[in-house]
Amino acid sequence: MEKLIEERMREVISAVFNIPVNEIRTDASSDNIESWDSLKHMNMVSALEEEFLIEFDDKEIFELLNYELIKTIVLEKIEN
Amino acid sequence: MKSISYIEILKENNRFAKMLPSKKYTVQVLSNISNAQLNEILEYTLRYEDVPAIVMSGDYDNIIQNSIKYNKSNLVIIFWELCNLLEGMQYKVDLFNDTDFTSILEKVVSEVDLIFNSLAETSCVLFNRFTGLHFANKAINKTRLEDLARQLNCYIDEHKPENVRTVDIDKILFSVGLEKSINLRYFYSARALYTVDYYKAYADYVKPIIMSTTGKAKKALIFDCDNTLWNGILGEDGFDKIEMSTDTTYGAIFSEIQSLALSLFKQGVLLGLCTKNNPDDVEQVLFDHPDMIIRDQHLAIKKVNWNNKVSNLNEISQELNIGLDSIVLVDDSLFEVNLIRNQLPEVKVLQVPEKLYEYPKMIRENMGLFYNRSATAEDKIRVSMYKQQAMRGSYKKQFENLEDYLISLEMEMIVFNDDKKLIPRIAQMSQKTNQFNLTTKRYTEGDINRLVGDHNALVMAISITDKYGDSGVTGLCIVKIDRQKGVSEIDTFLLSCRIIGRNIEFVFIDTVVNRLKSEGVITIVAKYIKTNKNQQVMDFYDDCSFKFISFDDSKRYYKLHISDYKPHDINYIKVSYGKTD
Repeated sequence: MEKLIEERMREVISAVFNIPVNEIRTDASSDNIESWDSLKHMNMVSALEEEFLIEFDDKEIFELLNYELIKTIVLEKIEN
Repeated sequence: MKSISYIEILKENNRFAKMLPSKKYTVQVLSNISNAQLNEILEYTLRYEDVPAIVMSGDYDNIIQNSIKYNKSNLVIIFWELCNLLEGMQYKVDLFNDTDFTSILEKVVSEVDLIFNSLAETSCVLFNRFTGLHFANKAINKTRLEDLARQLNCYIDEHKPENVRTVDIDKILFSVGLEKSINLRYFYSARALYTVDYYKAYADYVKPIIMSTTGKAKKALIFDCDNTLWNGILGEDGFDKIEMSTDTTYGAIFSEIQSLALSLFKQGVLLGLCTKNNPDDVEQVLFDHPDMIIRDQHLAIKKVNWNNKVSNLNEISQELNIGLDSIVLVDDSLFEVNLIRNQLPEVKVLQVPEKLYEYPKMIRENMGLFYNRSATAEDKIRVSMYKQQAMRGSYKKQFENLEDYLISLEMEMIVFNDDKKLIPRIAQMSQKTNQFNLTTKRYTEGDINRLVGDHNALVMAISITDKYGDSGVTGLCIVKIDRQKGVSEIDTFLLSCRIIGRNIEFVFIDTVVNRLKSEGVITIVAKYIKTNKNQQVMDFYDDCSFKFISFDDSKRYYKLHISDYKPHDINYIKVSYGKTD
């Protein structure tokens, strides 16, 4: 389950930042993905919400700062 | 568009990005809010239609300055939100006294003027109409924000220049629903307002306007007849039984369809028939049926026969001289619809819905495909011109050879040199002409105005008359001259498809070369730039005694020493000079 969700999450990140899935590292963040600016961040939020049928609240949006945090928050939301 | 998910849009858009040609269609979105998801959604929408769009956001809340910085873009979108005119505008406006209100109104009006000015020479500007709805949908009295929006919109309607199109935001909000359009989650932190659904609807709504400026609007609407223009099958049910009158339930639907078609006709869209029927039966309906709204005189072309529809549509494309991709076909038969989609994918096919009551809605929703930027005087008489063309076509068959036929036309070419009155038409031709166009350079009215005034450029336009009528201004040549070196370059050479196939291009190029000779030019250089649509003119310069120099992927380069030029000596087209003023 967790693996599958992580795969789908990687697909989303790949589509949003236009980078191949296999090049997404587990330490991915705005520091090492060049196109990750504030606009693309909002695109990512919309894409994740669509993919997992969830809605982030206004605080969570700004906590989705890197790969691990995204994974944690997405998993947490899906479980609830 | 609603059916494709946002992630799919992003993926497809990334895939399209790898296939873009080097020449892009640049779109700059100038806004005082953040519109993060709009760029990719609009890019995808346009790229899907083969427009190589790059959509970029200007600097945040910098519309006025950016309108100067980005005025060379192919398209500028002004995405201006009242609620962010100043911080907290949505509530502050209700606390304003009249003086405050007037002064903010005056400020925005003068900014609008500045923007119109700086974008005067941009080919196309989309200006979102102001709206106060976002914060007012539950308000019982009109809010001041709505009042402000109304006054500003009035001003824009009265003052907007030709190149500015307004986008009716309220209609988009209405179609998506306000609740689904807006998400205030980012409003206070990042000044973002809209949802992905809203941006999808926005992109869909503006697409036809953009397509028309890139020369991709549809030109002809072709109907099958049975169960498409009327209810019933003429050959089986008979003249008296087919229905298209408001007196019957189904007839009313077809009456509406015919009326919608008629209103498209009035906007210059070509109507036609492509149907398997006995020609005499259909003629009888067109002339004598009391309930018909579409009559013979509205039809630019009729293919009423038992041939297959693929060859009929090919003939329609040839006889009307429009690309297959300019044609929309409406048909009720799944077999025909699939056949055309399969054999002629360029043709847009609309199938009459099974639930007949959805048929008028479907036509209405597709009327934007024909969106016409500005109906010029030319457009209004275009249909009768196409009809003359079709008459010429039928006349054509009686002559033994083409030359005899051409001689019989008694053609005259009227040349207009640097004619200021023709600037709108000249710009329009450069925008719309795809097939007989050697370089396909698109110019705005501003560009042409500059060229007409330029001593080192010639702008030659032609119109053609013959015994059937006047084609209007239908050909253009722009030449740039370096007088010191005695060299000139043909920058643009195009003919509207209405007049091709009549050797006019040869008389026109003879005239251009003669004119350059008299200007003291010794050498002419020219090139052919390949597009998907202009293959037919690939060898044009070879046929005009220009010397082929070299080629690369998409271009062929030519050179001519004027003394080597061999005129075509076509004496059945008279040449004269005209002046519109």
